[in-house]
Amino acid sequence: MSIQPTTFERGSEKYRTKSVWSERGRSIAIFTATMVILIYVLAPVAWLVSSSFQSEVEIVSVPPHWIPQEPTLENFDAIFFQEFEEVTYETRRTVDPAAGGYIPSTAKDLLPSMWNSFIVSVSVVILNLLVGIPAAYAMAKIRFWGRQASIYTILTTRVIPDIALVVPFFLVIKNLGLLDHVMSLIITYLAITVPFTVFILVSYFESLPDELDKAARVDGCSRFQTMINIFLPLAVPSLVAVTLFAFLASWNEFLLALMFTQTIASQTLPIIVASFTSDFTISFSFINAAGVVAIIPPVIIAIFFERYIVSGLTAGAVKG
Amino acid sequence: MSENKPSLKYRLALRFNYEARSAGLFILPVMTVLALVAVFPILYSLYTSFFKLKLTRPHQVPFVWFDNYVEILTDELFIESVYRTVSFTLMSVVAILLIATMISLLLNETFRGRRFVSAMILIPWAIPTVANGLLWKWIYDSGYGALNGLLKQLGIIEKYTVWLGDPDKTIPLIANAFVWKEVPLAAILILVTMKSIPADLYRAAKVDGANVIQRFVHITLPSLKPGFMLVLIYETMMAIRHFDLFFLLTEGGPADASHVVSWQIYVETFRNLSFGTGSAMSYILAIVTFALAYAIIKSLGKRI
Repeated sequence: MSIQPTTFERGSEKYRTKSVWSERGRSIAIFTATMVILIYVLAPVAWLVSSSFQSEVEIVSVPPHWIPQEPTLENFDAIFFQEFEEVTYETRRTVDPAAGGYIPSTAKDLLPSMWNSFIVSVSVVILNLLVGIPAAYAMAKIRFWGRQASIYTILTTRVIPDIALVVPFFLVIKNLGLLDHVMSLIITYLAITVPFTVFILVSYFESLPDELDKAARVDGCSRFQTMINIFLPLAVPSLVAVTLFAFLASWNEFLLALMFTQTIASQTLPIIVASFTSDFTISFSFINAAGVVAIIPPVIIAIFFERYIVSGLTAGAVKG
Repeated sequence: MSENKPSLKYRLALRFNYEARSAGLFILPVMTVLALVAVFPILYSLYTSFFKLKLTRPHQVPFVWFDNYVEILTDELFIESVYRTVSFTLMSVVAILLIATMISLLLNETFRGRRFVSAMILIPWAIPTVANGLLWKWIYDSGYGALNGLLKQLGIIEKYTVWLGDPDKTIPLIANAFVWKEVPLAAILILVTMKSIPADLYRAAKVDGANVIQRFVHITLPSLKPGFMLVLIYETMMAIRHFDLFFLLTEGGPADASHVVSWQIYVETFRNLSFGTGSAMSYILAIVTFALAYAIIKSLGKRI
């Protein structure tokens, strides 16, 4: 492991001359720690992915095959192309005669539910930005009466457990006639995600100098113009972070979707995946394939936008 | 700007000037959303908690004062579920703090592949809880799971065990799945605090002859206090309210071994259809969380 004297992080003080042995000791310690952490984090996921490529016969082998010996795509095939081959009670067992075909007829619901998840998440993101940006700008840059109180209100709503809101949410949604409609999820997810959005944006806007605001106002920009023309372009990194959080939170949400959705008209991906896990007749390899399909989008987002996510999380939590 | 001018008229004019009006307009949408979907349900839930509202008897909804609360607090199952929630929370939070501190200590060093590691540790944070649930259910599986397979191959266990079927192991096993998912966020929060420790402190300590361990104990640990506090409060709140894994892994079982408060609320409301007592329980949970939240708002709100 090389030493990087150009960085200014604290670790870099180590570049002062030291004995080769202590350098080597440090490298070994870091290498070991890295391996332990990577195994802790990745091994469970690797096991999920590995078993999603196994056939029904292989998955029940004792001891388990850590790496599939005869990798198969039949599970993914069932998820993505099932709708073309009608599955009935008779054909169910002929899907793969050797294995007995433990692929549920609800496999074809995965894609529509993914689409529902996508619609809900994108709507929640858009509404978050529309509602959150002006509020955050006002709270960060306009000194008005009730500013502190509104910040507290927003923080407070985030603190109430979702499970405590489920009952009243349910009654409200039922009275609005929105049960089993994606709108019920969009509204409630907006309420859950928007406090965090506002919080992150407020801390970001506050880090931008007040002089920008004053200069724009002196030059005759209205408040609205100042926000759109001056602050939005500067806030792009935090807007990306906020978008990602709202998207991931909506994509992953489970409890409320479980309460409000009943049919594939509104069921989201987590609900369909969860419905497999409680069915004992379904092959584990198929369930795991469904799990892999569910984790791919968020994992890709997390890895690609790691920098934005980390900076967003930290801006939201610890400032300065 | 100044709000403490003497004349009332002047104060009103200040209060409702252009700035205030535009600010009001800007925060109106968010406040409307929150009033509709957060404040109203909270008050409504309080209201419901005073009625004997059962969907199995929709036309008899007597007002019962605090009977629901009395009923809950004298219900042995509820008291036990509180104990289970507390033990789940304690285990999870301690484990999260320990593991996250170790990860952030590593990520605070400069080494090749650091960015790769910090991207990889985001994976558990990013995946849906449902995937987390099925992942660990499959690992713990009694017939073909990875845990049995691994321990058997290593010779630690003689024969396969029904992990989630053992009442003593259920809560720790679920806590383990929860910890795995929560550790990344905690590690990031602690890492930021770590990075904000001035390097001068370490140099000064070095000059004074402090060794690595002394520097860790006397500089790193005390400086990390705000980060630890934040993680402690946040993760406590998350653990107390956690529902998904209990639903996915055990459904409160075996017997009542994982019957925690959030699961109790779910059963009471959506299986027994007793909305009155369900709301009362929700309210108790919300008040407890509020007490904790007071701490987080005090520490976070000050920074704004």
